[in-house]
Amino acid sequence: MKSKKLIALLLSAVLVFSVAACTPKESASSDTAENSQTESTGSDSNAFKSSIMFCGSTSLYPIISSLASSFTEEYETWNTVDSSFPEDHISIYVAPGGSGVGVSALLDGTCDFGMLARTIKDTEKEDLGDGYTEYIVAKDALTVSVNAENPICDTIDDMSGETIRQIFSGEFTTWDQVDSSLPGEEIQVFIRDLSGGAYEVFQNTVMGDSEVTPAATQSASMTELATNIAANQWAIGYAGFGAYNNANENEQVLQAMKVDGVECTQETILSGDYTIQRPVMFVGNTEPTESEQAFIDYVFSDVGVEVIEDNGYIPAFTVE
Amino acid sequence: MRKISNRIFSFIIYGFAFVTVLLLAFVIYFIVHEALPVFETVGVKDFLLGQRWMPLDSSANPSYGIFNFTAATVYVSVIAVLLAVIISVGTALYLSCAASERTRGFLYSFIDLLAAIPSVVYGFIGLVVLVKLFLRSGHPSGSSVLTAAIVLAVMILPFLISSISDTMLKIKEEYQPASSALGIAEWHMAAEIILPLSLKSIFLNMILAVSRAMGETMAVMMVMGNANLFPRLLGKSETIASLIALEMGTASAGSTHYHALYAAGLVLMVLLLIINLTITAIHKKISP
Repeated sequence: MKSKKLIALLLSAVLVFSVAACTPKESASSDTAENSQTESTGSDSNAFKSSIMFCGSTSLYPIISSLASSFTEEYETWNTVDSSFPEDHISIYVAPGGSGVGVSALLDGTCDFGMLARTIKDTEKEDLGDGYTEYIVAKDALTVSVNAENPICDTIDDMSGETIRQIFSGEFTTWDQVDSSLPGEEIQVFIRDLSGGAYEVFQNTVMGDSEVTPAATQSASMTELATNIAANQWAIGYAGFGAYNNANENEQVLQAMKVDGVECTQETILSGDYTIQRPVMFVGNTEPTESEQAFIDYVFSDVGVEVIEDNGYIPAFTVE
Repeated sequence: MRKISNRIFSFIIYGFAFVTVLLLAFVIYFIVHEALPVFETVGVKDFLLGQRWMPLDSSANPSYGIFNFTAATVYVSVIAVLLAVIISVGTALYLSCAASERTRGFLYSFIDLLAAIPSVVYGFIGLVVLVKLFLRSGHPSGSSVLTAAIVLAVMILPFLISSISDTMLKIKEEYQPASSALGIAEWHMAAEIILPLSLKSIFLNMILAVSRAMGETMAVMMVMGNANLFPRLLGKSETIASLIALEMGTASAGSTHYHALYAAGLVLMVLLLIINLTITAIHKKISP
């Protein structure tokens, strides 16, 4: 009897709410956007900004968050950073959420900088307006890696973009189609999840108009992707440069292919010769305040270089 | 005086209950609200029955079909429960009929411990042990629906065992004096009385376990291969929960992709609701 009552109550609540769901859609969302916008402009005009908020890409997140904590530990209050600053506590917040979230949070005014691990789209740039500035922190490249025990390592070290496209699109399904000397084992394609920045980079630089085969296994992180390739002799996948080096730290378990004759190394990535790469950056849409500039300088310093390299990325800048 | 304090107390209790219901209502409201736009842009039929999922704006022809994900969610959960129920019934029979009070308490604490292990740990073990085992025995990728079902089966074991053995214990308590008086052997009683009488409850618990298994995300995601394919026992596939976990982080807010993920969540929720309502209906029918 009691449970009957409860179910009735529950269902009626659901009904009421789902009816309500249909009506105030537009007004609710625009309301919050307006609120946050006025809030952000309000705080900008205030005298000093003691807190900085980063939001976005999970690739940049560990770098900025570790720099933020070392920055806070080193200086504690802003006046130790620069004596002209007030004695306010430094607070730098970093929130992960993906590149798309980085841009949308910046637009909503819920953060000061959006973190991205891909090139910014033209439409996003337009939305962010004239104040748009990008701070490219690092470069990340995708290696085209096979398992080191794959016999292909003894015969081929170079793949054309076209071959890679055919493998990843599923036109080639067995290894002997890639090269007749190889056994007729099924090719196991490993990729990142569809919405990860890496997927988009690979799509734009290699796949063009063709699509990655639906039979490809998606991994939730680069480490997992590298582990998957290392565990399967007939695997191929686009492990990130950092994940590739980490996986090979103790012994060679992955073998990266040259792409159109260009090897994936730090030099070729920075020079842009190796094309399967992406920038890791944060972007802002207003002139940075003095305190923000102080932290940006800290990111682009020796400490920054060290942290970026520790995270397996290639610093996109040099410190004089 | 007493009456007033009783009143206040019951008021508070009702209040808490109401808050719970309100929370649920709010979650449902939110999901429905965020999911609705996708039905306008994509269409209910294409969304539910489409098999192509290409949510990126950058692709020439985005499409949002979750049929394979829905099928995989149900498929992997059912297989997992079928695997788990065999072990659970055996364990529950042992616990209720053979084990002494002390052993039972001792074993219960281990089973509870099994439930306390975080799902990512199960997933990791599945990845480094099970997937490797499958690879070695000749499976081309190692990750498959069956791999995921085995991991999932282990994860729902504690729930199935404890609920089934509870029922069996109750039945045993009821019939023990009579059967002892008649001099019926313990195992005969287990086979002829306890097992047949608990079948209904086993069945109900199985359905409940399916609904629990459907929501499991992390462990399944790590061993199932996550490929948008129609589920086959030894093939790769992807569940709704994994789909949401993999893509929600990077779907830009307000895009069709974002709404489609919420809609996928709505489908999962409706599936669960159907299962729970079925259970309530069946329960009423079979319990006197």
